[in-house]
Amino acid sequence: MDVGLLAQYVMNGLMLGMMYTLVAVGFTLFFGVLDIIKFSHGDVLTVGAFTALATYIGLRSAGVGSTPLLLLAMLVVAILAMAVLGMLIARYLVMPLRSAPALNTLLITLMLGTVLRELVRLFYPQGANPKPFPALLPTASINLGQFNLRLDNALMLAAGGLAIVGLQLLLNRTKLGLAIRAVAQDEETARTMGVNFTAVVLITFAIGSALAAYAGIMNGLYYNEINFGMGLYLGVIGFAAAIIGGLGSIYGAILGGFLFAALQTIGTVALPFASAYKDVFAFTVVIALIAWRPTGLIQEKISERV
Amino acid sequence: MSRIARQLSFIFASALFVGALVATAQAKDKVKVGFIGPLTGGVSANGLGGRNSADLAVKLRNADAKAKYEYELVVLDDECKPNVAVQVATKMAADKEIVAAATHYCSATAIATVDVYHKFGFPIIVWGAVLPDITYRAKYAEVHRVNGTMINQNDANAALISKIGFKNVAVIHDTTDYGKGHNEYFSKAFAKLGGKIVGTFGVTADQQDFTAELTQIKALNPEVIYFGGLTPIGVRIRSQMDKLGIKAVFDGTSGIVSDAFIQGLGPLAEGSLAFREGAPTEKLPGGKFFMENYAAQKYDNPPEAYGAFSFAAMDLILDSIEKVGPDRKKVIEELANVKARDSIVGKVTFDDHGQNTVAVITKYVVQDGKFVEWDDSEYATGKRKLPGQK
Amino acid sequence: MSEVMQKLRTPLLPGVVALALSTAYLIALLAAEKQPLIIGLLAFAVVAVLAAHYLGWLNLVSRSFADREDVLGIYAILAACVVAAFFHDNHFVLLLFVTVLLYTVATLGLNIQFGYAGVLNFAGASFFGIGAYTSAVLSTYTAVPHLLVLLIGGMLAALIGSLLLLPVLRTRGHYAALVTIAFALLLKTFLEVNDVLGGPQGMQVKGMSILGWSFNDNFKIGKIEMSFYLNYFVVSMLLLTGTFVLVRRLERSWIGLNLDALRLDEIAASCFGLDIARWKITAFLLGNFLIGIAGALFGMVGGFVAPNNYTFADSLIMVSILLLGGIGNPWGLVVATLIVVVVPEKLQTIQEYRILLFALVVIMMLLFRPEGLLPRPVRRYFPGWRA
Repeated sequence: MDVGLLAQYVMNGLMLGMMYTLVAVGFTLFFGVLDIIKFSHGDVLTVGAFTALATYIGLRSAGVGSTPLLLLAMLVVAILAMAVLGMLIARYLVMPLRSAPALNTLLITLMLGTVLRELVRLFYPQGANPKPFPALLPTASINLGQFNLRLDNALMLAAGGLAIVGLQLLLNRTKLGLAIRAVAQDEETARTMGVNFTAVVLITFAIGSALAAYAGIMNGLYYNEINFGMGLYLGVIGFAAAIIGGLGSIYGAILGGFLFAALQTIGTVALPFASAYKDVFAFTVVIALIAWRPTGLIQEKISERV
Repeated sequence: MSRIARQLSFIFASALFVGALVATAQAKDKVKVGFIGPLTGGVSANGLGGRNSADLAVKLRNADAKAKYEYELVVLDDECKPNVAVQVATKMAADKEIVAAATHYCSATAIATVDVYHKFGFPIIVWGAVLPDITYRAKYAEVHRVNGTMINQNDANAALISKIGFKNVAVIHDTTDYGKGHNEYFSKAFAKLGGKIVGTFGVTADQQDFTAELTQIKALNPEVIYFGGLTPIGVRIRSQMDKLGIKAVFDGTSGIVSDAFIQGLGPLAEGSLAFREGAPTEKLPGGKFFMENYAAQKYDNPPEAYGAFSFAAMDLILDSIEKVGPDRKKVIEELANVKARDSIVGKVTFDDHGQNTVAVITKYVVQDGKFVEWDDSEYATGKRKLPGQK
Repeated sequence: MSEVMQKLRTPLLPGVVALALSTAYLIALLAAEKQPLIIGLLAFAVVAVLAAHYLGWLNLVSRSFADREDVLGIYAILAACVVAAFFHDNHFVLLLFVTVLLYTVATLGLNIQFGYAGVLNFAGASFFGIGAYTSAVLSTYTAVPHLLVLLIGGMLAALIGSLLLLPVLRTRGHYAALVTIAFALLLKTFLEVNDVLGGPQGMQVKGMSILGWSFNDNFKIGKIEMSFYLNYFVVSMLLLTGTFVLVRRLERSWIGLNLDALRLDEIAASCFGLDIARWKITAFLLGNFLIGIAGALFGMVGGFVAPNNYTFADSLIMVSILLLGGIGNPWGLVVATLIVVVVPEKLQTIQEYRILLFALVVIMMLLFRPEGLLPRPVRRYFPGWRA
């Protein structure tokens, strides 16, 4: 195969992987802190993307024309709004159910995801139709043979990488990060050490949801389109990626995200029927991986109270 | 206390029960007719336009003092999904009060439901779906269609592409029967004219990411990408073509003739081709009458490409009911005799399979954010050139 | 001695009255067409149930059902037949009723997996779909008798479920959830892209016919026109009765005891010598078998199968029905299925909002009454025996 074509595939895979990773990291953060799976994460991404679009439309009609300013405003508004939404979800829906069986939390977040999706579909004007998302990044491109390197893709890749690196730094180098990791390890001991449990949980949810908004905007910029169902698909893939990487480990989420994207891309290239079977292939491999390593590739340390 | 309370509640419940029976036993002199179309989802603009047009037909008839019955339009949404369509079709056909209906814009839904209508003996007229199999796969007396089929559309499509001088075409089609039908007829027509199909790719109707197919297409280097499918994925494919730097002509079908296509793409839509059976609404025999009355009702959505056909279908149904009464069997017999009947889309004749022939095919090209007829456009005169046109 | 073993006769009356009222109410609800009337009926139901709860009547009714279940079961079957007879020529209501019956069978299967054995299955609709597609393929391409087709549908669902056994057995909790979720998505995509099975367009399914009696033709008894859906009603009723009895007997037997032990504490159960793998496999396969049979019959009733009918969202609806009704309680399942299937259909005004409202209702249930409408009572070894 032509090197340029290969490079194109690699680039596609990297972009997808970056988006999946951003979602998977969110899942892993929530699990680490509260031992729950917040399934509405994907739909928070959708709401974030629509918030950004609404901001854009609002600002445009108010006469703002400068692209960097628009982009900045969209990012700020969406991220803040989703952070608040995340905190509300944590406070009113997730924390009250901490003593209930895990299935209840799983179901309640799944249903919440449905509620968010339906709210967008019903109450955003013409929500059921796909909406064009403005292309706000420079679209210059360099042609290297068969490979078309676009500036906006490169920028998004870099931005995604920065977000993940930033998160790592936050978790490993700051006091807040220390508190988050403490709570993730052992809630009771962290509390006796003076860590404000509720505050840490709320902040973690805020961070995760902010990342979701970020991923949503990236998704919109990449495909130039958003629709109310985009979160469901991304959410499930993010969940799968977080799981095969091993819940509770950021590195696992990154690994899982890029692995899933790689599986999809390999499925596209290797199988003869274009991309038709790529999801079937990817999910089959996921199931096989889970069968082989029941707690993910980067093993979660499980101890059970008997 | 509990015994009396128990008795009371029993009486209460029975009273309600009886009340329910009474409420449903009221006499009716209204006649119900139905409409099914995609009211939500990516092609909702067409569905809503069709619904408004059918509604217009019913309103105009109800305002007519000479009409024998008062008509009520029952509207159901098929969401452009075959399984939902079967459910709503079953619901409508199973309801004995609804006499006939104008159904379906999406071919995928129309082909799935023909058996349902036949099972219940429910007469319908299709107003927007173009797949030939809908009327030709089986000879069902219940199924009719006022708009044309995709065969002529694809013949004209292949002819135009050939005439301009393009020889290599890559085909992308959705995997519903609609897309598959387009693929079949276009490929045949194009091959007959000596063209070459360099690759065929099937995609799902709600697919998001086409970089895989488009990367492969880029390697094949076609001059034209033919797209057999509907507006939502048409928009995605065209914009992702641009992202990958593919400079081929985007050649679509009646599925993309919609304002949503242009709104979704903005300047990228420039130079896209599309084809449709029937003259543009303004040029139809009853076009002016239809547009004036439609505007007078102040609907939220425009009639879109197939609104006029929906109106014509509903009008035919209402005419039949006026003539033979609200009886499904009699309406089926009456519709079998439709020959050279006047309607706003011209003379309608149902052949032995219930299919009307629409001879005119309109060729469109997107110019400056609007669908312009090819012959009137600057592309035909040579002032502007399609990508790769010599 | 005989006094100890004598079954104390719990009054039958509360159960019978409740059944009669419910039947009358159901008939009224199904017959009503005008929206205000329907909303009024629903509001009345909510108020009536709450009132009954506070007055202590619900307790009487549930005691009655728990102790005299065999008799009340027969009455319930009769009640269903009364409803069907009332609507003997109304196609749509009968279709709705048959849908309720078959969904109940499928959810009972899910109940065995989740309610008794604690095996998470988020792919219930997928196995339903496997059954449906089996009946589509077999009835279109072969001449296998249709009753056998139902069985084969069930067996195929169980067989394909067994492919998932290894991951299901090895995983716990969230990881186990992922296995079935991934499978649900996988199957839907597979069905969509696979042209042999019709692709997104789906396949038509021939109506059932047993010994030449075609189920898809209307028929007459004397002078009365009967909807052809009555045929399907009879078969569905038989299926439901059989499944219900099976599930009840299973629950009360030593198998049910093992499953309960497994669900409540896996480690303790294995310490007691229970073979975890064996019982999980049994529950999973049996559940899928039932779901598959229901799916096969439903395919024939609807006459059409398409990948979009059997998505992850549909599996979620099944799990929600389980939750709403009360995990582990078959009667709760019946009530919940009725509510979930009938109410959205009748409330036309909220058609657009039905998914939203459904999700909100489930969230409310999870926050305020996670045991469900009819929570599973403490284990009873012999009905009627007071410990």
